[in-house]
Amino acid sequence: MKLLEIDNCTMRFGGLTCVDRLNSHVSGGELVGMIGPNGAGKTTVFNIITGVYNPTEGDVRFTGKSVVPFKPYQVADLGISRTFQNIRLFQSLSVRDNIRISFIKSLKAGFFDSIIQLKHFSNEEKEFDEKINELLEIFGLIDVADEYAKSLPYGEQRKVEIVRALATSPKLLLLDEPAAGMNPTEKIELMNLIKMVKDKFDISILLIEHDMKVVMGVCERIFVLDHGQKIAEGKPEEIKRNPKVIEAYLGETHA
Amino acid sequence: MKSKLLFLLSLVVIFFLNFFVENIDPYYYTIIIYIGINIILATSLNLINGYTGQFSLGHAGFMAIGGYLSIAISAYFAPFFINTFGTGAIGSSISFIIVLIIGGLGAAIAGVIVGVPSLRLKGDYLAITTLGFAEIIRVIIQSLDVVGASQGFRGAYIFANGLKAADIPAELSNEPYVFYSIPKYTNFFWTFMFVAIIIYFIHNLINSTYGRGFLAVKDDEVAAESMGVNTTKFKVIAFVSGAFFAGIAGALYGHFNLYLNPEDFNFLKSVEIVVMVILGGMGSMIGVIIAAVILTILPELLRGVAEYRMIIYALLLIIMMLTRPQGLFGVKLRKQKPTPIK
Repeated sequence: MKLLEIDNCTMRFGGLTCVDRLNSHVSGGELVGMIGPNGAGKTTVFNIITGVYNPTEGDVRFTGKSVVPFKPYQVADLGISRTFQNIRLFQSLSVRDNIRISFIKSLKAGFFDSIIQLKHFSNEEKEFDEKINELLEIFGLIDVADEYAKSLPYGEQRKVEIVRALATSPKLLLLDEPAAGMNPTEKIELMNLIKMVKDKFDISILLIEHDMKVVMGVCERIFVLDHGQKIAEGKPEEIKRNPKVIEAYLGETHA
Repeated sequence: MKSKLLFLLSLVVIFFLNFFVENIDPYYYTIIIYIGINIILATSLNLINGYTGQFSLGHAGFMAIGGYLSIAISAYFAPFFINTFGTGAIGSSISFIIVLIIGGLGAAIAGVIVGVPSLRLKGDYLAITTLGFAEIIRVIIQSLDVVGASQGFRGAYIFANGLKAADIPAELSNEPYVFYSIPKYTNFFWTFMFVAIIIYFIHNLINSTYGRGFLAVKDDEVAAESMGVNTTKFKVIAFVSGAFFAGIAGALYGHFNLYLNPEDFNFLKSVEIVVMVILGGMGSMIGVIIAAVILTILPELLRGVAEYRMIIYALLLIIMMLTRPQGLFGVKLRKQKPTPIK
């Protein structure tokens, strides 16, 4: 079953074509990597999937339904969640409250319930607290739960972003360069974390990454973008040997 | 649970304090009422500017709408209110609550009308739009004869032939009339009841999962949106509930002064409220309340040098920006632990 289908998608900004007739898909339970040199249009693809941009042409379907007419918060509601290339945590909130934000979309209590705070309100808040604690426990963040998210070390901030995305209970998780700025030990931890997330939460993952070790280590399938076009798609070993990919990354002389 | 008890307790205290405060010197009484009104204005603006991060410079406009709407209804419909509810303590309380709510709702509706299109703007642009809105309201009131235009509004003349006006027109100069002034409803109890309500309201809201959404919008709209938060909805809600309480503050102000003039709601009034929020610390409830108290008392102490008041305000702000950019009680990130929800 295809969870996400990118169907002949083109994105133009004025005369610049960022994504050019891209076709791809992510199946249920799959871990797909998207790689490509800088400026290849990878993050643009994420922005199209999450509803930040509307594609100039083509369609993106999630569980068979087009996401193009939806706004980002509605796309999140459909079950697509993401992390960001530059960490975007809520600065003035604690780690716990950063994750709490993800529960707003499933909140039963409305504006007035939150002010009057009757029994069913506190029950719901308690329920969220337990869920948050559970998530923090799994990711080993329980000790820093009440710190400002911004005061954590870089690697932990990345983790909080992943937890926050997971708290929206997505079917598809988009990770935008999760290993950027990490040292080799952190990268190995991250690889294990990604595998664990996929199995434990039973979700599909689409991953943008520059670090080949990470991509080759965790992805089941990879597609390669260059200048907005898909130049290759296949298993990690195939991608490694693909002359077009080598050319895009290393230049013609090496190909 | 604790905050609910505290809220009810404070209502009881305010109720009994009312008997005591009523006998003090009228000058001090006036200042105390103004403190209450300014706390309502500043904390409601804090919800918009401080917690949600949408810089609004139009709070005086909402105050004007609430104030004028409620006193106009109080005066023009005075016979109706007197006939229906009487002039006793309970009757006038009911009348007052009705006109207060109408004032608040009027301001809230204006909040929707201004908020929905202008909250797409950010930062300076939003500030300029809201400032423009407040000026438009003031200019409209200035040319509305039904509320006394630039003369200000004291009450309504109701003529024997059924016509109503804020002034005696030349063609009706021989017509017998009854003059209904604005009833003096506002007292310590009503003012501080609304102070307690708004503090309870914002405190509960901000410390709920729902309310943390406002802070998320302030911190990072893109991330909030990606986590399923409808940021436009949150901004409009903050704006509209802020406007509602500004309208209530205006209504309290009108029923205390028994006279409103469009000049009461000029640009400087909006700035004054913004200064309270910035001085107190954006998003700090205690700080903003204390700043509202200080900035109500300070002009009274500075009466002798009234012309230089704005200079002192400006200096105060500059010194604040240099020494404590987070405001008197604002939270400096990383130094302090964030407040957990409990």
